[in-house]
Amino acid sequence: MFEFFFKYPAAVFSRGTLVLLGTWPVWSLIAAIVLAAAGLWFWVHRNASGSARVNSLRSVAVWLLQTLMASLLLLMLWHPALSVATLRPQQNIVAVVVDDSASMAQADEAAGATRRAAATQVLNSGLLNALKDKFQVRLYRLTDRLDRFEKFETLTSSAPATHIGEGLKQVVADAASLPIGAVILASDGADNSGGVDLETVAEFRRQRIPIHTIGFGREKAAHDVEIGDVVVPARALPDSRLAAQVSFHQQGFKGQKAKLMLREGKKILAQKEVTFKDDGAEQSEAVPFNAGAAAVHAIEIALDPLPGEDNVKNNALTRIVNVDARKPRILYMEGEPRWEFKFLRRAVEEDSTIDLVTILRTTQNKIYRQGIANPDELKDGFPTKVEELFAFEGLIIGSVDAPYLTPGQQTLIKDFVDRRGGGVLFLGGKDALADGGWKQSADVDLIPTVLPDRKDTFLRAGAMVELTAAGRDSLITRIEEDPAKNTERWKKLPYIMNFQDPGQPKPGATVLVDALPMTGGRIPLLITQNYGRGRTALFATGGSWRWQMLQPVADKSHEMFYQQLLRWLVADTPRRVITSTPKQVISDDSHASLRAEIRDRTYLPASDATAEAHVLGPEGLAETVQMRPDPIEQGVYTADYTTPKPGSYLVEVVATRGTEELGRDTITFRREDGVAENFHTEQNRELLEKLASETGGRYYKPEEAQKLGKDISYSEAGITVRETRDLWDMPIVFLVLLMLRSGEWLLRRKWGVI
Amino acid sequence: MRVRSFLLLFILGLTGWGVLRAQRPFKAYRGQEYEDYPLPEDWKRAAEFTRARLRYPSFLVVHPPVRDGFDRWTIDYPPSDRHLLQGIRRLTRIDTRSVEQVVDLDYEEDRDDVYNWPFMYAVEVGYWNLTDRQAAQLRDFLLRGGFFMCDDFHGSVEWANFTASMKRVFPDREIVDLDNKDPIFHVIYDLDDRYQVPGLQYVYTHSRFEYDGFQAKWRGIYDDKGRLMVVICHNMDLGDAWEHSDNPVYPEPFAALAYRIAVNYVVYDLTH
Repeated sequence: MFEFFFKYPAAVFSRGTLVLLGTWPVWSLIAAIVLAAAGLWFWVHRNASGSARVNSLRSVAVWLLQTLMASLLLLMLWHPALSVATLRPQQNIVAVVVDDSASMAQADEAAGATRRAAATQVLNSGLLNALKDKFQVRLYRLTDRLDRFEKFETLTSSAPATHIGEGLKQVVADAASLPIGAVILASDGADNSGGVDLETVAEFRRQRIPIHTIGFGREKAAHDVEIGDVVVPARALPDSRLAAQVSFHQQGFKGQKAKLMLREGKKILAQKEVTFKDDGAEQSEAVPFNAGAAAVHAIEIALDPLPGEDNVKNNALTRIVNVDARKPRILYMEGEPRWEFKFLRRAVEEDSTIDLVTILRTTQNKIYRQGIANPDELKDGFPTKVEELFAFEGLIIGSVDAPYLTPGQQTLIKDFVDRRGGGVLFLGGKDALADGGWKQSADVDLIPTVLPDRKDTFLRAGAMVELTAAGRDSLITRIEEDPAKNTERWKKLPYIMNFQDPGQPKPGATVLVDALPMTGGRIPLLITQNYGRGRTALFATGGSWRWQMLQPVADKSHEMFYQQLLRWLVADTPRRVITSTPKQVISDDSHASLRAEIRDRTYLPASDATAEAHVLGPEGLAETVQMRPDPIEQGVYTADYTTPKPGSYLVEVVATRGTEELGRDTITFRREDGVAENFHTEQNRELLEKLASETGGRYYKPEEAQKLGKDISYSEAGITVRETRDLWDMPIVFLVLLMLRSGEWLLRRKWGVI
Repeated sequence: MRVRSFLLLFILGLTGWGVLRAQRPFKAYRGQEYEDYPLPEDWKRAAEFTRARLRYPSFLVVHPPVRDGFDRWTIDYPPSDRHLLQGIRRLTRIDTRSVEQVVDLDYEEDRDDVYNWPFMYAVEVGYWNLTDRQAAQLRDFLLRGGFFMCDDFHGSVEWANFTASMKRVFPDREIVDLDNKDPIFHVIYDLDDRYQVPGLQYVYTHSRFEYDGFQAKWRGIYDDKGRLMVVICHNMDLGDAWEHSDNPVYPEPFAALAYRIAVNYVVYDLTH
């Protein structure tokens, strides 16, 4: 239709520039239009002045129509045309890239045809021939790489991955030596490598090569459930309570229920029933589970298949959790013998994964140490040296007045959190917080509240406790598996008989538990915050021991609470060498990025270290990869590793400085093939449209694709010739002239002034 | 809406009442030896620690023919308790209340009150005669983390009476002699050299023992994790030593050891 009125395809107008081929200058056209308008104004008014039927408004309408017609006629006299670059026939190459990944085997096209069959049909129904009439055509097969092919029969749609970005990068590289004028990408847009990088798109734009995309596949599945992502901590302490944050969406099952399960092999770790919300809406559920014993755990997160589901292979994902055998040491400094000290120790004694070392001021001049590694450890009291304190991963400060610690020791505590990345828990007590002078200490920033200015904040009075909204979601306070039961359980915990006003929570701090004093009101009781590389918490009471004494022997509320709080305190405390990889499960990809953060004995970034990654892989694979220092981040070393085959990989990074070993750390990851293509199987039209629009091309539906034969000629890439296309003889011009003239005639007839 | 508000207020009121009455307030009792013993000035001050004194039912006749078992739980009460609390406050950093707390097992008005006072002391346990329900609650108290110290009972007859009830508390746990290496004898003071601490009768008889309790026995019962939960001071009278520590006629070395023992036991409880 467009071409019928405008004579040329839309691509000519979008890519061409307007020129006037007449020999007279442009200003003379403008002058002629102005003169014509003035003349017509004079003429219309002279004729209208004698007629009672023509008022001023009607004369203006007539003048306007006549002026527009005169202007259009004058413009045509100046010979308007479009200047457009077109590909020179038979001298350019058009790259036709056909997606041959497994997702193209989905039979969701018309009449049950596969996407590959639909693509083959579109290309072979005249489009390729039309292209071949004008250009050389190169056929490329796109999978996780780009290969040339000759016959469509060789396409199998069995490749386990699609890397559109990698494929296009190769095309643009070919364009450096070949006159590639345009690219046609026939795909469902289901890319597994995270999309197309900006650099590749920029290169296409720089070389002015348009990418025209033809999209295949349904844009929305009729009946499908898909797990989009699962976030689990990469590392954990043995028997820790963790949460898997599962994101999923569905089509066609709104309101239905399904079972969300966490499995390790055949063992079910946790399960939860979920109810599907609106079609296409992203849902998220947290599923708590136990990390289990020290080992590498491959956990499958799956939604049970539903009857009539189109694709059940996207209902499960695998994640790896490295449960470390380490036993973090926590130092507890207490200023007075008290019940909270005793019952905290007893709670942690039942946790085999935490090593609690305590220093207790029993008398004015004596300290009592428990849990020490040797008789000399901490014999002089609280550590004064970096190495001594930084050997711990967590710190608890009880009812200790701040002046008991020297300014140096106070600064050390701050560095312990900020630089070492340790966790500090402040407890309430008669010598704690504001009453203990901590507001004036170097560690005031570590406390997650703004401490009151007064010193009578510790009260020996009754209070009940209640979870806040954040506390209901937190794993620290989860003593019952079910969140609703957990909230009720907290309400029923025995009273505490002392609490301390901690002041207002600081911005960024999270209040997990409130105290409800019997005298009325509500004060924050358990508050957490992140600080520097570490984290701090404040538990503003020394009276939680009644949760143990006033409940049956079998009740483990108190033990679980403290164990979870202390595990949170130290679970993320880094060691001197920390290795990480952005993906623990690489789906249909061979590329693994390794990153190691290396610190020296005082936990300062070690920029002069040597880092080697020793890789153990499937079938006895053993390799050593040298890691390179990151140019931007001090103490960070990176390496790219190509996994030769699917399977589990264990990487141990050893950091040395001269002959001194700074530390070592291991991490595991897994390469899985044949997985990625089962996910995001709906047509990614957004990606295809964006790719086309960013490069000057256009997105086509399969039924519109035949237009490409004509549109594709207009490109500024490859070998081009600039052509001018006359505009004066476009049918639309004559149609407009006719409409203007007949419009005037109809008005006159209506007004009776013909 | 009115019904809901009423219910809410009722529940809040009930909770408040429950909390306020949950921990029984201090109450002074008439003792066998003392009546209307004056209260210290700061007796109302709330503190972290106080010693609970167990009010137990006793055998009326232990050493026939005298009916000598009446109110044996009040022996040395209350100066013994208050002197000791004062001593602990002075010698350690424990924030102690100046008055004791009398507690009952299987207390009919509030069975849970005993759990508010994790350090329990009983005197003259050669006379005690716990009911099965009381024994069960004492067992529960200890397994939850409570600590029990008993003292001032002498000889084989009183030992037999004591163990009869204690066996109902822990039928399967052995009473063992404490080793000198046990932390309880070193937590504050090193108490390797302990001697028999006699009662006030020593001033008149110069005999350190009573009945056939010739040797001081330092005994205890451990929990499954090797922590002492019951400490038994047999054939000695630490209660008298604390009670008469301000009495010029009572020998200072006995009082000194009694205080050191108590300080170690209390600090042990607060750390284990």
